[in-house]
Amino acid sequence: MEINIRNIEPSQKEYIEIGCWRVNERVNEIVRFIKLKDGHVEAYKDEKQYRIALSDILYVESVDDKCFVYLTDDCYESRKRLYEFEELLPSENYLRISKSVVVNLMKIEQIRPALNGRFLCRLSNGEDVIVSRKYVPEMKEKLRGDRR
Amino acid sequence: MKDKLKNMLSSFFISVTLINIAMLVLGRLLRPDQQFGYEVFMYPLIYGLIGMIPALIVRDGKELTVRQTLIREAIRMVLTVVLLVAFIFGGNPIEKDTVITAVCVAVSVVIIYVGVVVIGWFLDKKTADQLTEDLIRFQEKQQNL
Repeated sequence: MEINIRNIEPSQKEYIEIGCWRVNERVNEIVRFIKLKDGHVEAYKDEKQYRIALSDILYVESVDDKCFVYLTDDCYESRKRLYEFEELLPSENYLRISKSVVVNLMKIEQIRPALNGRFLCRLSNGEDVIVSRKYVPEMKEKLRGDRR
Repeated sequence: MKDKLKNMLSSFFISVTLINIAMLVLGRLLRPDQQFGYEVFMYPLIYGLIGMIPALIVRDGKELTVRQTLIREAIRMVLTVVLLVAFIFGGNPIEKDTVITAVCVAVSVVIIYVGVVVIGWFLDKKTADQLTEDLIRFQEKQQNL
């Protein structure tokens, strides 16, 4: 596949164009990757609005009808619901691990046992999030992928 | 539901095995000359079933933290001890010999309960290590896309 990068004027809008015979899974994968790098979400902190890159999100947690977006050192509140995050975040890298948490799989450093068939994910910032027993099979399937 | 059932069955069979060991050790120590009939094979199963009752009663409606889970396990353990001691010694006259046996049984139940939790933890540890390996492979694959 040939890759072309062309410099454009600062006044012009940046774009990515893919030339292909047909849109197959490989092309879709590239599109999802670009969207992940380019995607963002609006969130709030101290009544100020921020744009957060999707790839920076460690996990999203729903607490009492409110959603909180956790980054390495910061936490923002979002007006979106958890199911909206599930739709928005690329399913390749994000996974629902309990009733209230969607985690970025790329930010997990280690998985350890908790009690009663649950697991703890140690994130890159040292925080732990719990994987409920109900979501463990889904996680196994996701991580094993085509290795099965 | 399927996973919960699987987990409970696993705990049940680990309990039954450990109860067998406890009966052997306690029997040798306290009543070495006692004779039993075939019905004795039923006891570990019955005790195992009784030990499952607290797990059905004390249920978690929401996701518990590790500390909350530990407290819940402690409550379940106390309930299991009370249920089993009441089942085995309920109705018997309170004598010194009965009290000693009841204390030994209670201690055994605690050891078995902790044993079940520890064995479960080691089984989960194996799964967690496998998951971590799969995770590293997954992350490498995603980064190389």
